[in-house]
Amino acid sequence: MARLIRTEKEVEGRYEEVWLVVEEDALEQWPDGPLKIVGRGAPRVDGLERARGEARYTADVRLPGMLHTAVLRSPHAHARVKRIDVSRALELPGVRAAIGPGDIEQLTGEPGYQGAAVAAVCADTLAQARTAVAAIDVEWEELEVVVDPDDAVRRGQVHDKRERSRGDYERGLAEADVVVEGTYRTQTVLHNSMETHQSVAAWEGDTLNVYISTQFIWGVREEIASELELPQDRVRVVCEYMGGGFGSKNDPGDYTFIAIELSKRTGRPVRCALTRREENMAAGNRNSTVQRLTVGAKSDGTLTALGGEFVNALGWSGWNASTEGPMQMLYACANVKTTTWGAKVNTPPMKAFRAPGFVEGTFGLECLMDELAAKLDLDPLELRRRNYASNDATDDRPFSSKNLMECYRRAEPHWARRDEVRARSTETVKRGVGMASQIWYGGGGPPSYAWTRVGSDGRVTVVTAMQDIGTGSRTAMAQIAAEELGVPLDWVTVSLGDSARGPYASISAGSSTIPSMGPAVRAAAADAKRQVVEIAAQRFDKETRTLDVKNGSVICSDGGKWPLEDVVGLLEDAQILGKGARGPNPTGMQVLTFGVQVAEVAVDVETGEIWVERVAAIHDVGRVINALGAESQVEGGIIQGIGHTLSEQRLVDPETGTILTRTLDAYRMPTIADAPEIVSELLDIPDAHLTNLGSKGLGEPPIVPVAAAIANAIRDATGADVRSLPISREEMLRALREARERERRGAPAAV
Amino acid sequence: MPELRVNGGAYEVDAPVGTSLAEALREELGLTGTKIACNEGHCGACTVLVDGLPKLSCITLVHQLDGAEVTTIEALRDHPMVASFVRADALQCGFCTPGQIVSAVALVESSPEPTSEEIRHRMAGNICRCGAYPKIEEAIRTWRD
Amino acid sequence: MELLRPSSLDAVDGGVPIHGGTEVVPLLRDRIIETERLVDIRGVVPSGVSGRTLTNEQQLSSDNNYQAVIIGAGTTLAELEASTQIPAALREACRLAASPQLRNMGSLGGNLLQATRCWYWRLKFPCRLHGGDRCHAREGEHREHAIFANDFCASAHPSDVAAALLALDATLRTTTRELSVADLYRLPTEDDRATTTLEPGELILEVDVPAAPRSVYLKAMDRKRWAFPLVGVAATPERTALAGVAPIPWLLEGDLDAATPLPQTAYKVELAKALVKRARAAVASG
Repeated sequence: MARLIRTEKEVEGRYEEVWLVVEEDALEQWPDGPLKIVGRGAPRVDGLERARGEARYTADVRLPGMLHTAVLRSPHAHARVKRIDVSRALELPGVRAAIGPGDIEQLTGEPGYQGAAVAAVCADTLAQARTAVAAIDVEWEELEVVVDPDDAVRRGQVHDKRERSRGDYERGLAEADVVVEGTYRTQTVLHNSMETHQSVAAWEGDTLNVYISTQFIWGVREEIASELELPQDRVRVVCEYMGGGFGSKNDPGDYTFIAIELSKRTGRPVRCALTRREENMAAGNRNSTVQRLTVGAKSDGTLTALGGEFVNALGWSGWNASTEGPMQMLYACANVKTTTWGAKVNTPPMKAFRAPGFVEGTFGLECLMDELAAKLDLDPLELRRRNYASNDATDDRPFSSKNLMECYRRAEPHWARRDEVRARSTETVKRGVGMASQIWYGGGGPPSYAWTRVGSDGRVTVVTAMQDIGTGSRTAMAQIAAEELGVPLDWVTVSLGDSARGPYASISAGSSTIPSMGPAVRAAAADAKRQVVEIAAQRFDKETRTLDVKNGSVICSDGGKWPLEDVVGLLEDAQILGKGARGPNPTGMQVLTFGVQVAEVAVDVETGEIWVERVAAIHDVGRVINALGAESQVEGGIIQGIGHTLSEQRLVDPETGTILTRTLDAYRMPTIADAPEIVSELLDIPDAHLTNLGSKGLGEPPIVPVAAAIANAIRDATGADVRSLPISREEMLRALREARERERRGAPAAV
Repeated sequence: MPELRVNGGAYEVDAPVGTSLAEALREELGLTGTKIACNEGHCGACTVLVDGLPKLSCITLVHQLDGAEVTTIEALRDHPMVASFVRADALQCGFCTPGQIVSAVALVESSPEPTSEEIRHRMAGNICRCGAYPKIEEAIRTWRD
Repeated sequence: MELLRPSSLDAVDGGVPIHGGTEVVPLLRDRIIETERLVDIRGVVPSGVSGRTLTNEQQLSSDNNYQAVIIGAGTTLAELEASTQIPAALREACRLAASPQLRNMGSLGGNLLQATRCWYWRLKFPCRLHGGDRCHAREGEHREHAIFANDFCASAHPSDVAAALLALDATLRTTTRELSVADLYRLPTEDDRATTTLEPGELILEVDVPAAPRSVYLKAMDRKRWAFPLVGVAATPERTALAGVAPIPWLLEGDLDAATPLPQTAYKVELAKALVKRARAAVASG
């Protein structure tokens, strides 16, 4: 029965109270451990078309008569358009339409960051559109630019200030035997999905078709429909193959509304695609942070106080991600007090980026914990165990499941390599090992729906309008359906990526695709299987309870066995249809993911060069669906984290707010030569309280502890405290110099 | 009007001087397997073979090709490297993958059993933001399996 | 725009020369280079590596394994990376330059003539190199910029190969003259913002590299591969030259204490010292 409930819904650590219609999922969870298909490794079901270049991404959509768009983006970080004249642009060859401030809400006459969309032109070719945009005549009035977040906070220029406190922080500090303070900084990093943000808009009668590279088909549909005041079913959103998002493609973005408006004006399909440089100005970022942190502890390591002042440099708009989250949630500590400012500065707005807030906050907190361990002369792993939170540290709610202690236990062999690793140090190259814990969301939630079709040949199609943003969700859904229906994996096709061709599906953000969609797909498969069994029972005169489907055959406990196609063959070209819904999350419980990573590094103490040689990652994300795909997620998260830790940094000219690192020679993401050896271990313990699957998400957890584990390994290797990301040569050499000076002054090195 | 020799065929392309090979492949010939991700020579997504050597089609001018033979992913679809990438899960979103495979094919043509060091050296011009690198290395190491 | 494809040097008349295009094409798109005529010089600039004919005296004094070579300016970095005939420093500089695809495209001559990676210059700030009256990097973001001769313009020269050839004391033959690699470069001044001495229409044809039994190139960069040098150090027993430390490839005379780093580039002095020490030790020990 459908139930209407009022509940908290979480995405990326942001909660909102929503009404949800949920349907109970009556299915028991599968037994623990790898099953026939689920829990095993499966190559991507769409791997071949992607690898062969046949998959049609939004970038490859070509519609008859399609026009191309170029966008005039503000060259100034803060300015007012005094006068704008598009008439010269309109006269140029091939130009079909031009729009400017006021024509749609997404074009502004008062940009607050460099890259804000101001005007747009569409033309027969992209080159013509670009020439035309250059011919737009604008008179600017430049306004004051503030890019320093501390400066913005001082001026009271903040989007948001969040204070969270429990216990008595001051008393906790007074009770401490040891207090450690540190200021940590993280840089702005850029998503840089290989496929840039883009859309093609095309009207077909009174229906608007939008092809878009997106993480959330239904959110885009809703936002467009509401902005254009269209019935939702008059907007169709399509994204079958998607070239990466990492959190930056959760909403339609200015480019989509530009394409829609220009399509409306010209009556032609219109493409609007960001260039790489636009991408790195206007498509979002992980905002920089400054974290002033304090920890107080008893001499046995028991935490008595945790305090933090966090400044998130959100940009001209954005939301104040939970940089304080790890400090609030990771450890049992009675007295915690945090303040988090969301500074308003003249830089492009932040967007969610793979565990927003927690990646940054974990760097600060887990480095601080290691500095505390050094001061207390305690083993860092032991310090973390001593402060283990058995219930939710913020409100004492029980966890739906938490196996972080087991992760720590599984980390021991990796942690025990310390002596051997250090012993491989030379005069100039020092080696060490560091660790950091991971806490993050990833439980997903309703509503999410799926259908299944079983044809007379026994072949199965899962239909749901979700998207696979490159994480392999399509494959995981096929595995779940195949497992439940008892058919080989290659009998299952997943049809996704089109709001007109399937039911509502979850956003692919907040590590939620598998925990949100998986249970719905399983329920839909179970519904179809129930019907198969009922048909078989009638055809062969058996009781349904004696029947099951295994390996593509209906089997009976009396030894009877009929190939599935013989059972459903009488359908001819008709089908069996199943439907399934995602049930609610357990009430009164906190659903989180956990883990620990152990990093091994080498540091050249003369040149500051750093090699991340090995990372062991142990994560607890409930039941694993695709062991191979999960390993890929872990590796990808760690490698992206290494980029954040060592080489990536968006630079802004302090005077003008100009984004300096727009190109990929200057903005340096890891190459294959930067990838370490990665050992990935997933506990694969289903969460008994969470849905019919017991699975949580894995997209984000692996990136969370990377920077802290590396920084802690660097301290272990060299005694140097790195507190600022990226750990460039400059930062590494500075920290080494500081450590040498400390040693010369006779103070003991950190280790 | 320059003549383009692509995947064994010859094409006349009506494009102004300055047109890149990537543009011509995608827009004139409809060969969209070659992806454009940065369009300025920094990421490797647009890699194609020009007379057997991996080059960046986004900054190669069609008018400079002068009869050189261009090989794109479309001609390599049945190369064992493609199956190896899928088997090893050496792709995630897949947008950089055609370029990766083109580079990888050139690598094993010149060095059929490349060492890890060779792979890391010769594949460093193909950025994968999803971070499939460990599996890409594995796919190249095991391409003949 | 037109593209000419001359087959003899006599037919070259004006226009912007283009070889591999790895630098020219992006600069054309950004309109940092503006022209109506591109001249594809691949038909007129020699390529390949050949041993130089030595005088008897030179033969007597040189190690047989290490022969002087003449390299066509059209030789790609990938070809040089694979060449066993060239000195180790040059080979290593080619190996660590750019990406494999760029090395397959970029020519030796083009590499020597590449412009700075200074973001202000690339983004067309009206800086001194573009003829303006200030260096935006000096007051702005300059973590990758110069530590020598950076008063007028703080840009850093990115060529690994140029530093190697400078340390190797190579000579260039152009369409009009012979000159040392050192003489190819000049520091930009108020009166002349150019960083090379090449005249309009002048093409580099060949690079003459003396025999160098002992040479080395060390490079510090932000990634393990495919990044421009923060600091590159080329050394022979006689000379040390640096990439990434001045607006032009920098022959190190004296020591690094003479450097004039900017606030964000002080680390480069420390880094360069360490690399210079190592490079010199490597060539001294042979």
